[in-house]
Amino acid sequence: MLRLPGRGTLRRRGTVPQVTRRYLLLRVVQIVPTILGIVLISFVLVQAAPGDPVLALAGEHGDQAYYREMRRHFALDRPLPERFGIYVSRLATGDLGMSRIQGRPVAVIIAERIPATLLLTVSALLCSSLAGLLLGIVATLRRDGAVDLVTDMVTLGLHAAPVFWVGQISILVLAAGLGIFPVFGMRSTEPQAGGLPAALDVLVHLALPALVLTSQQLAGVARVTRQTLGRELDRDYVRAALAKGLPRGYVVVRHALRLALLPVVTLVGHRMGYLLGGAVVVETIFGWPGLGTLLLSSLQSRDAPVVLGIFLLAAGAVVVANLVTDLTYGALDPRVRHG
Amino acid sequence: MPATAMSRMNRFALALAVAMSLGLGACAPDDEDGPQTGASRVVVGLSELPGHLNPAITTAGGVHTVSEILYDGLIRLEDDLRVRPALARAWSYLDDGRVVRFRLRTDARWHDGTPFTARDVVYSFQEVLLRYHSRTRASLGTALTGVEMVDDSTVDFRFREPYGPLLRQLDVTEAPILPAHLYSETDPLTNPANRAPVGTGPYRFVRYDADGLRYAANPDYHDGRPSIDELHWRLIPDAGTQVTALERGALDWLFAVPGPERRRLEEDPTIRLLETTRGPGGSNCVMTLGFNLDRPLFGDERTRWGIGHAIDRAQIVDRVLFGQGRVAEAPISSGIPFAHAPEVELPGHDPEAAQRLLADAGWGRDADGRWLAMDVNGVTAGTPLAFDFTHFPSFSQYAQLLRAQLLAVGIELRLRPMEPPVFVEAVFTERAFDTNVVSYCHGPDPEIGVRRMYISSNIAPVPFSNGAAYANPVVDSLFDQARRSLDVEERGDRYRRIQEIVARDLPYLPLVETESTRAHTARCSGFRAGGHFAAEARCRR
Repeated sequence: MLRLPGRGTLRRRGTVPQVTRRYLLLRVVQIVPTILGIVLISFVLVQAAPGDPVLALAGEHGDQAYYREMRRHFALDRPLPERFGIYVSRLATGDLGMSRIQGRPVAVIIAERIPATLLLTVSALLCSSLAGLLLGIVATLRRDGAVDLVTDMVTLGLHAAPVFWVGQISILVLAAGLGIFPVFGMRSTEPQAGGLPAALDVLVHLALPALVLTSQQLAGVARVTRQTLGRELDRDYVRAALAKGLPRGYVVVRHALRLALLPVVTLVGHRMGYLLGGAVVVETIFGWPGLGTLLLSSLQSRDAPVVLGIFLLAAGAVVVANLVTDLTYGALDPRVRHG
Repeated sequence: MPATAMSRMNRFALALAVAMSLGLGACAPDDEDGPQTGASRVVVGLSELPGHLNPAITTAGGVHTVSEILYDGLIRLEDDLRVRPALARAWSYLDDGRVVRFRLRTDARWHDGTPFTARDVVYSFQEVLLRYHSRTRASLGTALTGVEMVDDSTVDFRFREPYGPLLRQLDVTEAPILPAHLYSETDPLTNPANRAPVGTGPYRFVRYDADGLRYAANPDYHDGRPSIDELHWRLIPDAGTQVTALERGALDWLFAVPGPERRRLEEDPTIRLLETTRGPGGSNCVMTLGFNLDRPLFGDERTRWGIGHAIDRAQIVDRVLFGQGRVAEAPISSGIPFAHAPEVELPGHDPEAAQRLLADAGWGRDADGRWLAMDVNGVTAGTPLAFDFTHFPSFSQYAQLLRAQLLAVGIELRLRPMEPPVFVEAVFTERAFDTNVVSYCHGPDPEIGVRRMYISSNIAPVPFSNGAAYANPVVDSLFDQARRSLDVEERGDRYRRIQEIVARDLPYLPLVETESTRAHTARCSGFRAGGHFAAEARCRR
């Protein structure tokens, strides 16, 4: 493939889709060993965690024979490599195993919790991305002005504050104190009649935890947008475009922002991976019935199959999100071509 | 929700479940059959959702807290541990006490309408409790030779020799009765009824989802229908949020309030507190300092008593428990009045006595005030009196305070926080510790929670057993006598003699008896501390 300095690839009609397809294939094939590695490491980590899961399962007052029986029951008396072999061969058929505590398939248990977590994390991701982008643009256009400074200080402060603290304070002030939001949960205890009131009920409960999660993520997007957009605005092509008489807003949005978006997309794409596992603390504080609270309770009860299932799901999501992010580059920036 | 669970629900519950199972803004039909406004309801805060609701296959506190109210035992233990009839209405002793015959209620029904019979009792003990309920298996299981059905409403418990503690081990905590018609011929660990339970208890199961659980009053409860129509259990893992929700009226009942929050709630006129020695893991729990008697350092009881005198246990009640508890007066908890021996002497806070006893045991102080072995049996001269203290991270405040108290008399404590499963392995399996602190729950009878700490056959890799490795044939024999006797006074006498001996030998120093504080809305009254906490409560509309 021919490259011209500074102008990317010289294309011939028909070759690029093929190359892209090869690149895509390569990236997908790369995923297999990555996932296998993740499975191995997660499995070993979960199993190597000290302590005896049987204790958490059965209670603490048994005799030796009892614990021996329970260990056999859960196949915990087999050697680790054998257990890993069984796990992987089942995993290959899409079977995540059975929860030791609940006696139900792990896949079912996890699937039940995905909607709640996605609702919370996607809301927060959308809010933080849009609000962060807007704040970043406004701050750039008023560089070093009051808006810029205040935005920077507030978002950075929220980012730096521990999320459990922000969560607690927001519950105390906004929910308990002012009574604007419900204190906990995803739905009211009183059942809501009809679809619309029920949806509104969830929305009302969603607001505060989503706000807290958004506040944590705002700084990243706002600061990166401001930085990269600022850098682009200083470039010659912007000056040229302005000199040509194009309106400032048009130049900023159509030229500079498009290039400045690349790192922002990286950042947001990176976050996508954490959509399934990134809200453990917020879910715990607000009693949000998602994967985070499931992970916490499964860790406490040492329900290894469920913990492993969540790990794999979260890791898989990160891998896929990275792939998608990489591929999005090409769409945004013609300079990036995959060969 | 599994299909089997659905089929077992009645129409009302089904309609309720459909109305409430809202996906993400999915449509739900109008809630005509739902609870009428004004139906009394108690919303309970839960720190963790239990994986299942079968109290017969585990002693895990999380499961028992939520599930006991769905079931019954043969007897019921009042909050003061008095025995009352439950599924058994009467009992008598045959064959010199080797057989205990229970007459069962004939008017009790399972929540699905099936009558309760002796078959359920025999099945529950033989196939489930004596196999999977670790406490019942470890205590009752070693004494029992059989549980036999005499007729539909009569059951015999047969023993090798008379077994005194039996009745206190038959309540819903130690021996909940499961429905044989749903469980027999299945694996009780994976039976779908574990997630959609059918019991005989005052409340019946309605639904269980990621938000929490819903129960409804059992209209046919043999002891009378509960006044509160519904129990809603809501998951709130964070203790701070739980208290805030209670103050805001979003919750009505909390099983435990953190010590520091208690004083604030005490002053809140909308909230009532209920102190109890029942905790989620067991009742009558005593925070206990254990010495590893395998260590030559602790070979002399004067050393152990000396360390005991250096400890100010009243300060623990103040600073660690915020008043939620009391100094332990005897090795057996005051919550078991027939066995508790307050007259027994334990080392009180007395730094001078501590120094005197350590000196007697052969320790001497160097220029820096540290104790070094001068002439201590089995300890190399010059060894400092410094040792590890193994504890759960959640008990770190005990650890910090004890370290400070011991340091004041020149003893160095090295703190070793360990997560519970790691702790169990280090202390009870590997015996790699010097001293530790364990919350030993004595339960309703010393046979359940005290015997395991002291008998020599329990020097084995069994969690929360004889961690000190204390072996005294006299004590072993007294425990056996106390277990064999059917006479409460005689049993109490044996336990008092045991306490005199173990207080002198001091393999363990009982520190404080912990209490737990329940909190509820002032709108309701009549709650109890035990598993059937809401069965007799009432709420103002």
